[in-house]
Amino acid sequence: MASCLPVVISRFVDMSSMETPIAVGMVAPSFVLHGDARRPLSSSEARGRPWVLAFVRRWTPGSDAGAIRAQLRGLGAILVIASDAGVWSFRPDDEVELSAGTSPRLRRELDDLGARCGVDPGEDGVFVVDEDGIVRFAQAPSGELTSALAGALEAAGRELLGLPPRSGITRRDWAVMSLVAGFGLVLFQGCRGRGPERPAPVVAKAGTEVDVVLRINGQDRRLRVDARVSLLDALREQLSLTGTRKGCDHGQCGACTVLRDGQAVNACLTLAVAAEGAEITTIEGLARGDQLHPVQAAFIAHDAFQCGYCTSGQILSAVALLRDGRAKTDDEVRQQMSGNLCRCGAYPNIIAAIQAARREV
Amino acid sequence: MKPFSYVRPADTRAAIAAAGESGACFLAGGTTLIDLMRLEVMSPTALVDLGPLPLTAIERHGDGLRIGAMARNSDVATHALVVERYPLLAQAILAGASQQVRNMATVGGNLLQRTRCPYFRDLAVPCNKRAPGTGCAALEGYTRSHAILGTSASCIATHPSDMSVALAALDAIVHTRNGGRERAIPIGELHTLPGERPEVENVLEQGELITQIELPASPFAAHARYVKVRDRAAFAFALASAAVGLDVADGRIRAARIALGGVATKPWRSLEAEQALVGQAPSRASFERAAAAAIVDPKPRPGNAFKVDLVKRTIVRALELAWGMS
Repeated sequence: MASCLPVVISRFVDMSSMETPIAVGMVAPSFVLHGDARRPLSSSEARGRPWVLAFVRRWTPGSDAGAIRAQLRGLGAILVIASDAGVWSFRPDDEVELSAGTSPRLRRELDDLGARCGVDPGEDGVFVVDEDGIVRFAQAPSGELTSALAGALEAAGRELLGLPPRSGITRRDWAVMSLVAGFGLVLFQGCRGRGPERPAPVVAKAGTEVDVVLRINGQDRRLRVDARVSLLDALREQLSLTGTRKGCDHGQCGACTVLRDGQAVNACLTLAVAAEGAEITTIEGLARGDQLHPVQAAFIAHDAFQCGYCTSGQILSAVALLRDGRAKTDDEVRQQMSGNLCRCGAYPNIIAAIQAARREV
Repeated sequence: MKPFSYVRPADTRAAIAAAGESGACFLAGGTTLIDLMRLEVMSPTALVDLGPLPLTAIERHGDGLRIGAMARNSDVATHALVVERYPLLAQAILAGASQQVRNMATVGGNLLQRTRCPYFRDLAVPCNKRAPGTGCAALEGYTRSHAILGTSASCIATHPSDMSVALAALDAIVHTRNGGRERAIPIGELHTLPGERPEVENVLEQGELITQIELPASPFAAHARYVKVRDRAAFAFALASAAVGLDVADGRIRAARIALGGVATKPWRSLEAEQALVGQAPSRASFERAAAAAIVDPKPRPGNAFKVDLVKRTIVRALELAWGMS
């Protein structure tokens, strides 16, 4: 991974004739992209402002546009995302502008810009450029958007969100870090629901079985299912992942809660075949070797269960809750956890465990 | 669950084509459909999975907003533009279901949510909605959850969606596509009253796909409130709910929006109550007059007669909170 040391050189230069892909400390490449928006998208707009250039092939604009703009607004920054579907520019004070990605000219321009950045067609990469036009963060992994990139962005985000600006960090460093973190948001939300691969079209006649590949706890698991089989039953009966519990089988108790692309969902109301293409996390996927996830450890430390039947679901909902970060007070936590019933009535200890784990996660 | 064909289409056009045949059904979030299929209350012969389709964008549209039909409820409720301009919608969504269900359920699917009437869900008893012509077990049954407005001799089941009540108050427009034909349906015209055919719940045709929900510019963001009264504080359906908005200038109400949930067979907009508020100063007295005007010719059963007063009080409470009275 590229280091993130600041080296100030000068401003934009035309790098189209240069051989070396850009790296941290170098001057960012200039570009003009001709989509069908009213005006072409040009790097000259970014003069004097920090900006992010992102190649995320599978990204589509989702519900995150407002959040992205809010992230960028405070920094006066510009975000440019190139995906298979087109080019999006997010200006902090403006509409999201979309250029369709179908014109051969735009494709050529994008491939050319990608080449100058060391990002081949089909690859993902992220570049953060400061207000002097210097690349301050560069990540051009090969192939798919890698977990290394996701990890780097998440770490930067954690650092940003967890700590106030320290003395010794300049405003510019701060802006760069914010952009890295802000872009983490784009990646995780914009790619959500698309999963590791967009699942291929399927037509399965009633009564026949379907071959599916489910991505469970980071591993691809192949299985053959009747279309009626729920994700819950596939996990328990076919993959022997019995940590996910079957309670009501109607989405009312939460015992079957798993994470789908990071969000808590009811596995009983999810068809296994419809979970193809999503990242599924079950209780078995939380610990790292012998080291329990902080939420698991907190449930033990706070005696947050009695019979244990609902516990897997409680923990996965809690992990999603803490990752989401919106629910903070006990009342907010209760409200967001209301889809997980505990017949032993361990609720006070469950709340205590979640609030304690908040400091660790 | 009865066997069904499963189709994961490559694009929207293929989805519509696959859902064209009788018995086929779109699968969105699945939170209602899979549940009802497991009970065999619904037994579609084919499911067309909309999951991978790119219908999730939430975007400005002029001064309004367009929400893709497959946008998840939780994503809509927390979207910055929704929170800022349509807080009523965010509040209504967050008042419904659980976090898991909100993470799965979509805007398009929630509009078409089926009733929670316990007799509809129970194959052992008659139900005109589930099995047309068999009768209605609710009429002489336990009716705490049932409707007092828009009912018929065939059906008194409530429409259970909180989100749809807010959309009714916000004058949402439902965009659909079927083959080459596109329609823009005002939300008030999407759902039908049960009448003699409670099995028909909306004006959509076989294979017609909701693609987007459009919200026009709203002057109600500053004074809007969704109040939901239910048997427990979370993860319960409404006994009565009110989505209200006030547009006040120079001490007078210029325009108002009032829609009701938990008491009617469809998301229930009350133009009478809104009219009663226009030109008035916001006050407890004017709010009570509006609430009285909202409930025209209710048809309560013995088990839900309490709703006539409860819904009026819910309206008054929502208006007071919207206006900032404590």
